[in-house]
Amino acid sequence: MNVLLCSINTLLKGLYDISGVEVGQHFYWQIGGFQVHAQVLITSWVVIAILLGSAIIAVRNPQTIPTDIQNFFEYVLEFIRDVSKTQIGEEYGPWVSFIGTLFLFIFVSNWSGALLPWKIIQLPHGELAAPTNDINTTVALALLTSLAYFYAGLTKKGLGYFGKYIQPTPILLPINILEDFTKPLSLSFRLFGNILADELVVVVLVSLVPLVVPIPVMLLGLFTSGIQALIFATLAAAYIGESMEGHH
Amino acid sequence: MKNVTDSFLSLGYWSSAGSFGFNTDILATNLINLSVVFGVLIFFGKGVCVNDLLDNRKQRILKTIQNSEELRGGAVEQLEKARARLRKVEMEAEQFRVNGYSDIEREKLNLINSTYKTLEQLEIYKNETIHFEQQRAINQVRQRVFQQALQGALGTLNSSLNNELHLRTINANIGMFGTLKEITD
Repeated sequence: MNVLLCSINTLLKGLYDISGVEVGQHFYWQIGGFQVHAQVLITSWVVIAILLGSAIIAVRNPQTIPTDIQNFFEYVLEFIRDVSKTQIGEEYGPWVSFIGTLFLFIFVSNWSGALLPWKIIQLPHGELAAPTNDINTTVALALLTSLAYFYAGLTKKGLGYFGKYIQPTPILLPINILEDFTKPLSLSFRLFGNILADELVVVVLVSLVPLVVPIPVMLLGLFTSGIQALIFATLAAAYIGESMEGHH
Repeated sequence: MKNVTDSFLSLGYWSSAGSFGFNTDILATNLINLSVVFGVLIFFGKGVCVNDLLDNRKQRILKTIQNSEELRGGAVEQLEKARARLRKVEMEAEQFRVNGYSDIEREKLNLINSTYKTLEQLEIYKNETIHFEQQRAINQVRQRVFQQALQGALGTLNSSLNNELHLRTINANIGMFGTLKEITD
């Protein structure tokens, strides 16, 4: 009996530890007056390195008839242009780079969390995971999107951009203003929640049954990660397109 | 149960470790599952992505390039043809120009010649007319002088004709006729 109680106690303690590991703990760096989440920065740098490295390899020796990696990257670029074009419309050109950056960064971040064995490297506090696992990253991305669509609307229509707040009727003014806050909120929370949930589910399953059982969930995680990246990029493009489209 | 607890405990232990390091627990780092997922991803990714999307894309690009090459070849051919025609037309135009110049030159010469001839003819006519007029004037003057001389002679005759002269003349004429008769006899 005593042994059982002791065992349950250790189990509970272990569970608290796990929950503490997953959401609570961070590895802090002090930069200026700010405390930054170092594990996010480290994984972001890895993601950036992967993206830059593969891009450099892809464009190092361009051919007229694209070979493997060049072909793949051209396909990705075509895909991003396609998304931007369908969402933004004819003037999508200048925004391809922004949408593409969002999509590729989020996609590679999500997949790095799902595919790379981050846990091999051990930090003093917290643990390495996908950068989008941290709400700061997703909020930053979502705020960038907000800035982008404000910029797009203001440069396209000048101050007349604010005329869309009283369309179709002035009664909707509060709701239209509220939308500017809910857009980044929903964008950031959707991405953050999905990725965190994916990784949590995988970690909990791994801790319960270490082999085979987590594999379907991990595959599902890959799928949803890709979908989330696509959704984020598509919605950002849609917001930009919405603020640029004419109301006449 | 013990195993699970151990794994929990070990996870807790690592996470609260105070420094950088490597985690060597294969189960906790999820290496096996990750490699399986990686394998599945690469297998299906190769099947779907590489074979379908990328190869199709490559084929499409190849076909497009081929089409453009063909179109370019056709365009170059047409350009060559057009150039040849242009050259021919230019040559013809040159010929026409040269011919036209020579024609114009000849026409000019002809015109000058004929005008010159006409002028010569006119000159001759003019000279003839002048000559004729001169002759006529001379004739008129001569006639007039002759008339005046005759009138003078007639006046002189009329004024100096009297009986004695008349008789003398008649006698002289008779004598002349008499001598003429003697001679003939």
